[in-house]
Amino acid sequence: MPEKPTELVQGTLEMLVLKTLALEPMHGYGIALRMEQVSDGVFRVNPGSLLPALSRLERADYVKSEWAETENNRRAKYYRLTEKGRKALETEKAEWARQIAAIHRILEA
Amino acid sequence: MGRIRSILQGFKSLLHKTERNGEIDEELRAFVQSSVDDKMRRGMSHDQALRAARAEVGSMDTVKHKVWRAGWESKAELFWGDLIYTLRRLIHMPGSVLVVALSIGLGIAANATIFSLVSKFVLAPAPVGDPPTLTTIFRTYDNGSCCNALPMPVYRDLRSQAKSFSGVTAYDELVPASIGGGSEPERVWGQATTANYFDVAQLRMAAGRGFAANEEKAPVIVLGYTLWQHRFNGDQAIVNKTITLGGQIYTVVGVAPKGFRGIDLILDPQFWVPLGNLPQLTATAPDPESRRFQWVRAVARLKPGVTHAQAAAEMQVLGQRFATEHPETDKGDGFRLEPAGSLPPRDKTTLQLFLAALSVVVLLVLCIACANVANLLLAQAAARQREMAVRLALGATHAQLLWQMLLESVVLALCGGGLGVALSVWATYALSSFKLPVPIPMDLAVGVDFRVVVYTLGLSLAAGIICGLIPAWRASRPSMPNGLKGEEALARPGARWGLRNLLVVTQITLSLVLLCAAGLFLRSLQGAAKIDVGFRSRGVLIVAIDPPLHNYPPTRTRQLLNSVRQRILSLPGVIHATTTDGVPLSMGHRSDGFVAEGRPAPKEDSIIEMYMAGPEYFETLGIPLLSGRGFGTQDPAAPKVAVVNEELVRRLFQGENPIGQHILDGGVPYEIVGVAKNTKSRSIDEDQRPIMYRSIDQAIDKDPSIDGYQFMVRYEGDPAPLAEAIRKEIHAHDAGLAVFNTETMQEHVRDALFLPRLVGTLFSIFGSIGLLLASVGLYGVMSYAVSQRTKEIGIRMALGAEAKAVQRLFVRDGMWLVLISIALGLPMALLSARLATSMLYGVRPYDLATFSVVPLLLVLVTLLACWIPSRRASRVDPMVALRVD
Repeated sequence: MPEKPTELVQGTLEMLVLKTLALEPMHGYGIALRMEQVSDGVFRVNPGSLLPALSRLERADYVKSEWAETENNRRAKYYRLTEKGRKALETEKAEWARQIAAIHRILEA
Repeated sequence: MGRIRSILQGFKSLLHKTERNGEIDEELRAFVQSSVDDKMRRGMSHDQALRAARAEVGSMDTVKHKVWRAGWESKAELFWGDLIYTLRRLIHMPGSVLVVALSIGLGIAANATIFSLVSKFVLAPAPVGDPPTLTTIFRTYDNGSCCNALPMPVYRDLRSQAKSFSGVTAYDELVPASIGGGSEPERVWGQATTANYFDVAQLRMAAGRGFAANEEKAPVIVLGYTLWQHRFNGDQAIVNKTITLGGQIYTVVGVAPKGFRGIDLILDPQFWVPLGNLPQLTATAPDPESRRFQWVRAVARLKPGVTHAQAAAEMQVLGQRFATEHPETDKGDGFRLEPAGSLPPRDKTTLQLFLAALSVVVLLVLCIACANVANLLLAQAAARQREMAVRLALGATHAQLLWQMLLESVVLALCGGGLGVALSVWATYALSSFKLPVPIPMDLAVGVDFRVVVYTLGLSLAAGIICGLIPAWRASRPSMPNGLKGEEALARPGARWGLRNLLVVTQITLSLVLLCAAGLFLRSLQGAAKIDVGFRSRGVLIVAIDPPLHNYPPTRTRQLLNSVRQRILSLPGVIHATTTDGVPLSMGHRSDGFVAEGRPAPKEDSIIEMYMAGPEYFETLGIPLLSGRGFGTQDPAAPKVAVVNEELVRRLFQGENPIGQHILDGGVPYEIVGVAKNTKSRSIDEDQRPIMYRSIDQAIDKDPSIDGYQFMVRYEGDPAPLAEAIRKEIHAHDAGLAVFNTETMQEHVRDALFLPRLVGTLFSIFGSIGLLLASVGLYGVMSYAVSQRTKEIGIRMALGAEAKAVQRLFVRDGMWLVLISIALGLPMALLSARLATSMLYGVRPYDLATFSVVPLLLVLVTLLACWIPSRRASRVDPMVALRVD
């Protein structure tokens, strides 16, 4: 068993979802799985947070969704990043970098 | 864009909620399925994988709920749910809803009605195109005194020299004319304007067009909308038809838009003709070349980009230039700009103060109503404490409960607001029936417009929140242990003087103040009606005609008046008949400066009121002659004779016998042949003015009336058939003569009591509403007290207290509240009476009758409000009461 998963930092879920979708369109479970794998199991997202986040992103027109077949021949809702979502991701990334740098400076001071 | 999309999607998912839920459900199941597949691939058995996946997801319903809550529509749905819950609760208590809606409805109706006055006379823009850039130009005199009309040459100078305006128009504000066509001629009032009037006003005509630039003197006419409707049945093809006006043929070129009654407030002109036609329409057209005679009103359209301040500055420069160019006429005169369609500047402050005072009064009425509602809600809050405690115990937050209670009071207040608007539609209709005692047409009609509705809505919302806040606050915070057991959870220990008693005292205090005001104004109306006007108004009929409008020369006018008078005298029921050029108490008639021949000019102001009088004038009006004689049919060519009143004798002759002496009107001598008793001339409450009556036969030729002549007839019996008979006699002489302003002198005097009647009526209504609301409030508090103390009453009775004693207990409690209120309210009422002194006639502000009767009335009504619930207390059966809970 890997070490115990951590709660996500407040407010980062949507940015991470956008980043995950930046590679290719995915369905909900795919996103959760990818995030878990990439973070080496540190972040585990449950559908109770992920699906509302996806719904909000879709409402904000950052992602679009459509039903499609999965590799296992099942139906799933695939999410795809829009142009607007890509821009939002860039701004959020920049903002996040600024904050991290600032936090880092304070911790190292 | 994004926000609109979000709103649209929200509505979509609200409308298709089942589908949306199904979609969420399906996605979630797919999620779990993928998770299971994944786990099985990693070597778990199907059952293990399923269990693990379910454990990860947790409650499916929670997830679904979270997704649903991500959009705004979930909040709307919650709000909708709260609203439905509230409505369902309210439907189950129709009695309380009715009381609350009626209370607030009455309060709101009073406010809406008064605000409809404010809306019409203060807020409404002029009924023209682009109102903000239209401005009225007044002439000031004596270095800034306000305000006069303009002489025609001054207008022409303005028009050619002022650079701030794209157009300046001038008009004579009221011109009477007799309009032909149809069954019977009719006298109507209109305006004579420069040809650019409709261009400057930028009106969207209902039909046809305004005047063309070359029509300054052309016989063309624009009809007012109401005249077009009632006299020409809204004939669509009226344009280019001809009609007769004052005996001349005019071509109709257009119809003014609906609701357009000229640029000024209050006046009600019905037609417009070019100013060049004025000499044909009226025998007394002012000289357009005279720089002294101030008679045209001017209105200007600002050029784009020019502000009012810039225009005013330019006008000041022009005023100074005119004063240097024409020192003999223009010295000290200037200009003043006012937004078009605002109240006349001379009366503006008074009227605005009056409206402000009324607004304060109706807000007080609303406060009384609100106190009632708050009281009722407090009682309900007490009744719901257990429900509230249970809901809190089950996890509802204080904020949620507060919100729900507030929603309830706001819904109630809005119901009341709706009712109030409906009531005020009727009230404004009634208010519009008040009429000024003047012979010119006025538009004083008020109604509920969109401004009133918006204001009312805001006011009801505010009332709902204010009434609901404290009850809601208290209800949402019951003391938990007691509340859950169903015991008194809102009562704070030691609080004998509850909030509810405080509210009731406020209510009764305020209604006492209102009732005292109502009492004073009613006494004032009574006082004004008792003021001796000097003539006998009962049994006098007035009928007016205006022969000069039908192109009668003076001689024929005189003959017509005399022979019709003779014919009227032979009608059955007629005792006396006379002719005149103006009815007294019409807020002002002709007046001029006089001196007595051979005597020093009086120190006091010597402006003398002038009335023309025919034979039997003093007999008809019942004015006693103190010495000398009245008029018969006088020879127009003979030396002029006059009858004067006592006041004139006092001022001009220091009280000595004036018979045989002369008074001079700008050099014209009048020999005094009689002295009449004083009568009121302009208004009922005025100080006595000096009056001179001159013979109508000697006055018509040189100085004709500008707004018609009246027959005044003293009669016995029914005035209606007599009026009809007189009309027939007039038409027997000339079927083309318009007969107008037919009324009895009593009706006329009643209209002259316009102000005291209006104020008295308004305050009586407001005071009664206040008293009613306060009584309901007291009744509510007493009933509540009885229901709270049932157990106590039971014990008292079980111990031997008599029913009467119990009843006394409650009545005494209630009466304490009333007495405290009276002690608080009387000083306030006396103070406000002082403020109203200037509006009282024949009654002093500290009127003993008012200030003793009103508190007594209040005590009686409130006694009833206490007595009814106290009866219920005395009927408590101790056996039943003691078993309660």
